[in-house]
Amino acid sequence: MPMKLRPVILALLLLVLQDAAARGVYQDPDAFLNEVFAGEPPGPQVLWLRGEIKKTAEEILGHRYGSLRVRYWQQGDRTAWILEEIGKEEPITTGLVVRRGRMERLRVLVYRESRGGEVRYDFFTDQFRDASLGADQALDRTIDNISGATLSVRALTKLARLALYFDGQVTASHVTPSP
Amino acid sequence: MSHHHPRRRRLKLRSFYIWHRYVGLTAALLVLILAVTGLALNHTERWQLDSRHVTWDWVLDWYGVEAPAQSLSFLAGNQRISQMGRHLYLDRAELPGEYDSLRGAVALREWLVVAADQSLLLLSPDGELIERLTGHDGVPAGLQSVGISPVGQLVVRGGHGIYAPDEEFLDWGHWYGNLELVQWSAPSPLPPALRGDLARHYRTEVLPLERVLLDLHSGRIFGSWGVYLMDAAALFLLFLAGSGSWLWIQQRRKRLTHRRAQARAAAHRSAKPIETP
Repeated sequence: MPMKLRPVILALLLLVLQDAAARGVYQDPDAFLNEVFAGEPPGPQVLWLRGEIKKTAEEILGHRYGSLRVRYWQQGDRTAWILEEIGKEEPITTGLVVRRGRMERLRVLVYRESRGGEVRYDFFTDQFRDASLGADQALDRTIDNISGATLSVRALTKLARLALYFDGQVTASHVTPSP
Repeated sequence: MSHHHPRRRRLKLRSFYIWHRYVGLTAALLVLILAVTGLALNHTERWQLDSRHVTWDWVLDWYGVEAPAQSLSFLAGNQRISQMGRHLYLDRAELPGEYDSLRGAVALREWLVVAADQSLLLLSPDGELIERLTGHDGVPAGLQSVGISPVGQLVVRGGHGIYAPDEEFLDWGHWYGNLELVQWSAPSPLPPALRGDLARHYRTEVLPLERVLLDLHSGRIFGSWGVYLMDAAALFLLFLAGSGSWLWIQQRRKRLTHRRAQARAAAHRSAKPIETP
């Protein structure tokens, strides 16, 4: 192989590997629930999206939610949700845990886009920890964007708002003040 | 010899003008296609050219887009679930998502339950998706068909037995009733009128506008010769760029020569001694 071509081929190879690396199943939804509930997840329950709930979910997402009911798992004051939202073209499957109206955990379970997979890393998802809903169902904090992953960041922010809103509907919980 | 030189140059220039004009006229239509399609393709995402589909019959015919000859259809209550290609339809309305194999459909209470691939779609009577259930939600692996038990319960034939969910589809278990009494969902012929409508709809969901623009841009829409046609357009453009520049240089040189000649004549006139009476 000519020496001059080597850096070009290496760069192309890295690009392909980067694309392949972004996509993947990072945690099976069942494994996520097992981890959240220490190996004993409660049975699922459903929240029906009707009337005001359906309307608010649509406002948060900017489009209709894909189905008329959403599955969730509740144990004590914690609820777990597995939700999907499209980043650019493909849905991002995300596991979210809410406790007393605050986000306890957000984890990307399945990422299908070719770019923007950085949103799965802790440095990004940690920003959602303890977030709660403020006025107009907006998060009480600003989530820093990741260059090149703007649409995935937006999708996860919407899912965090949605999970917090849904939690409020099923637990009627009160947000505890920040420590 | 030197006497004929300017005339030959004029003739050469004139001939070049004519070539430039006719090549320009010939290339105009192709350049127009290249420019318009190139402009549109530059904004594919903004104009959603990849998600909008061509609906003109003559373009679809040109591309040979045909609806699949075979289509599966199941009657569920008084509604019909059909598959055309990878699309599912409730009567004439398309359902979200794409599926490889439709396995059955039944009416259950006020809902419709559709088995497709390894999932169950719970639909409201107007086709709204209530929930899509997969293996994570308890749907048995190796899903083969769906049916209704004598007591009106949903029954699912999986790869390892017969299963049934609870009323809310939250919990699944083995079903041990009499299999002969189960009304299994069975395919039935698609009425010709409905098949025609679905085939028409299917055709309009296949060909993205971006594909047609790309093929127009490259010339492939006209077959293998179309590519050479666009190659010719590119060569014409190269020729026009060269001939246009050359003509401009010739004109400029001519103007400069003319100006210099005028300047020399003026200088000559002013240098003449004034004759005194």
